[in-house]
Amino acid sequence: MTEQNVRELVYRSCLALDREDFDGFLALCDPALHYVVTAYSPEIRKEMTWMEQDLAGMKALLAMVPQHLRRTGSLHRHVSVYQVEAPASDGTIGALSSFLVTHTALDGGSRLFAVGHYHDRIAATGGRHLLKTRRAHLETRDLGIGLHIPI
Amino acid sequence: MSARAAEAWSKPPAVPETHYVSGLVYSDESVFADEKRRIFDRTWHLACHESEVPEPYDFRTVDYVGTPLLVVRGADRRIRTFFNVCPHRGAKIVHELSGNTKRFTCFYHLWSFDAVGACTDIPRQEGYQTVGLKKDDVGLREVRTEIHVGLVFVNLDDQATPLGQYLGKALDAFEGPMTAGKGLEVFHYNRAIIQSNWKAWQETNLDVYHEFMHVLLRRTQMTAAPLEDRKVTVHPNGHTSIAGLRAKYEYYKGMQSRDDRLALPTLRADDFIFGTVFPHVAVLARGTTMRIDVVTPLDAHRTLIEWRGLGVRGDSAEDRQARVRHHNQYWGPFGRNVPEDAYAAEAAEMGFGRGAARFQVIARDEGGSGQDDGMLRAFYGEWSRRTGRPAANPSNAPMA
Ligand code: FES
Ligand SMILES: [Fe+2]
Repeated sequence: MTEQNVRELVYRSCLALDREDFDGFLALCDPALHYVVTAYSPEIRKEMTWMEQDLAGMKALLAMVPQHLRRTGSLHRHVSVYQVEAPASDGTIGALSSFLVTHTALDGGSRLFAVGHYHDRIAATGGRHLLKTRRAHLETRDLGIGLHIPI
Repeated sequence: MSARAAEAWSKPPAVPETHYVSGLVYSDESVFADEKRRIFDRTWHLACHESEVPEPYDFRTVDYVGTPLLVVRGADRRIRTFFNVCPHRGAKIVHELSGNTKRFTCFYHLWSFDAVGACTDIPRQEGYQTVGLKKDDVGLREVRTEIHVGLVFVNLDDQATPLGQYLGKALDAFEGPMTAGKGLEVFHYNRAIIQSNWKAWQETNLDVYHEFMHVLLRRTQMTAAPLEDRKVTVHPNGHTSIAGLRAKYEYYKGMQSRDDRLALPTLRADDFIFGTVFPHVAVLARGTTMRIDVVTPLDAHRTLIEWRGLGVRGDSAEDRQARVRHHNQYWGPFGRNVPEDAYAAEAAEMGFGRGAARFQVIARDEGGSGQDDGMLRAFYGEWSRRTGRPAANPSNAPMA
């Protein structure tokens, strides 16, 4: 697995989520997917988990998204892969990325929605590179009305 | 009749005055000023949960409709609250959101205060000798603080009715879940500013009828127990509660029924109990976990909402993870329900905020069951009593 493969996977996973191409996103996930969204609260001095899904949970959640009343407009994840680690003993590779997410309203105005880091582990399975674990750690904690899809 | 021209649109709905609300309650600045003075300056405000200041000298800072507050647990374990502003030249003293300290020192001229609000140090105090100003004269402003089922309430009005009397039986159903056994602790705290009047959020907690909006509730709640089993209770002082709600979580794709082993004391895992405290608190228990809302207006069109999620103190890591998962299914910024409620509150602001919508109808009567609007009417009844303005026509001159 090359560093280039890792970067591409991180970027493609975000492009798929931006486009709300959920099947495309799930196709980039390892069967052992563990996806968590976390944030730290200085109010209660605790790490918080705001979303935690395995692959089956993520599939079910994304399948139901169209039935929900939800934020209009679109999100755009601007990602920079900062660090790609050497492969671990299990063959997975860790990557640290920074993200800035903007929201564009239906009438065209864009504003900064959230910032944070992705802590990813990527597996090479059957010659493909798949997202095995992701911790999306949010610096931004005020997400306005919230959202129905993973950040 | 079909669509209406301006005159018809501006006419109040043909229902009793108690069964509709004028849009002016959301948009009129003088109404908002009265709400601040007659409601928020005088009613009990939920500042935090006691688990947020578990140890002596733990503190939390909160902002309450523009008043910075400092909540501190003293050496005697009592929780006290003060204006978080310096008696010297008015600066906000503590800027951290939480912490532990025996001494609060104002950054500006280094006056210091202790956990009971006394001034303990004034640098170069001799400079005040000519006028005779002493430390004893410059303590912090203490705010009344009382605790009920672990909830720390404060009141800016020193003459206010004691908390227990104010609440009456409104939170009785939560006594067991919140205080039996080891008690609860907050594991989730999220605050967000939404673009709506504060009441539009609280209405999402008072309006049972809107469960149609949530696919999750259509699936898990409306089918789980007969709608006739529900019983709305209107308590004195505008508080409300509802019993008889259940959920079949497994009816929503990807969710499983909740294990009774994780049920909070006195509850079943599929119980859903619910209550509001006037004006701006909602307390919800879904069997295994709880959510508490505190809704604070920033101005007539922007609202700060604080959401807390609670689990059992001393949970094993595995149990806590399950409770957090249960919490996040419905609630939190990635929950299936909360973002929908916030969407609705902002949409109501789009209608009422600049006067396009003129009235809202709160006229459903199902005998206090089903999808009755009784909780909304109770809220606006108390609102009218407190502001001295009828919610149906708030531009009527306030009563003295
Ligand atoms: S303003 Fe606080 S010490 Fe002067
Ligand atoms: Fe709702």
